[in-house]
Amino acid sequence: MIWRVLLLVWIAAAIVAGFAWAPLVPVLQETTRVFYFHFPSALVTVIALAWSMLHSVLYLARRDLRHDDHAAVAAELGLLFCIGAAVSGSMWAKAMWGAYWNWDPRETSIFFLLLIYGAYLALRTSVEGVERRARLSAIYSVAAFVTVPFLIFVVPRIYDSLHPDPLFNQRGKADIDPRIMLVAFAMVVGFTGLFAWLLSLRLRLARVERRRLEARTTGSDL
Amino acid sequence: MPSNGSNSAAAVWAILRKECRSEWRTRYGLNAALLFAVTTLTVVSFSVGRLGNRTDILAALLWIVLLFAALASLSHAFVREVEGHTLTLLRLVASPTSIALGKLLFNLLFLLVLEVVTVPLFLMLMGGPPLSWGPFLGLLALGSVALAASSTLVGAVISQTRGRGALFAGVSFPLLLPMLAAAVSGTRAQWQGDPVGAEVRILAAYTAAVLAVSLLLYDHLWED
Repeated sequence: MIWRVLLLVWIAAAIVAGFAWAPLVPVLQETTRVFYFHFPSALVTVIALAWSMLHSVLYLARRDLRHDDHAAVAAELGLLFCIGAAVSGSMWAKAMWGAYWNWDPRETSIFFLLLIYGAYLALRTSVEGVERRARLSAIYSVAAFVTVPFLIFVVPRIYDSLHPDPLFNQRGKADIDPRIMLVAFAMVVGFTGLFAWLLSLRLRLARVERRRLEARTTGSDL
Repeated sequence: MPSNGSNSAAAVWAILRKECRSEWRTRYGLNAALLFAVTTLTVVSFSVGRLGNRTDILAALLWIVLLFAALASLSHAFVREVEGHTLTLLRLVASPTSIALGKLLFNLLFLLVLEVVTVPLFLMLMGGPPLSWGPFLGLLALGSVALAASSTLVGAVISQTRGRGALFAGVSFPLLLPMLAAAVSGTRAQWQGDPVGAEVRILAAYTAAVLAVSLLLYDHLWED
């Protein structure tokens, strides 16, 4: 309970700071604030994907259905954040570059993640049997994970990027006001907390559903 | 549980020969795939006409035709076993890895036949500047191995689902996107006389990674 309240206060404070305290970047003007939503969403998308794939590997190694729950739930939430990052990025691109979508490398990679999440979840819905579904989707997840790094090498060779470098490079750090960075990282912490909270909620729900299913198949009431 | 069959080269070879023989008896899969490839090619050629020097579009169209032909046909090897109820018997005589490797080789052979028909026809219909044969054939070969490797893995997974054919293309595509991008960019570069070393390296690394992870995953394909 205390953590939920803390999370609420934390994110609210970061939003207020984004509007009232942090300065605007001259080039970006008012759109600077999209950054506080866009960047944490994109980062959480990647965290969710890594979490989902890690638990897929663990499922194949240990055959514990709780790992499958983690993988499935993280993929669902990852899709949510991925859509958030793609939509906010697309609106930002319209405002700054003049088009909603132009296959910029970053746009391509976020679209790639959307496709993987979508295909993974579509695959899950079409397999009958809990263990078979867990096994097959874990196999797919691991195979998809292997191809992710290649996109990062391939796409920049083909298309030019308008997207700025990631924040973590040495050169970019000097350009951005430290107050903006502070708000952005506070939002990253907030979004990661939000992801963790939603994950725990959905995991509990998955556990209850599994118990109900087991009760039904064994014929007893829950 | 796996595996009471042998996991040797002999088993893989036997699976490959069995695949070829059963395909040759009906030629149903090959005929359907060839017809599909020629149809796609006709649609492309008919709707855009001769492109001359537009190598960027030519390279993209060539790989789109090949990708469609592969996606329409490569799940066939596993779906046929499931629909014919012969998979259980197959699993009794060979390990999952040798079954999958045999099917992988068969899919590769299948793609090769498909390309022998499709690619010359494409070049004839679409025109385009002269090829640099070495890089072009190298890219085509690497691209085929990459296509066969990932669609064998996805095909084995998809054959155990409800959607089967319908789902195969959509689920394969995200895995194939990096390979497609590298193959298209390499093919365009060889037409323009640019070096293709980087694309060849990316394709080779992609293929090696998919093959390596496939070998780890094949064991988990069938357990119930």
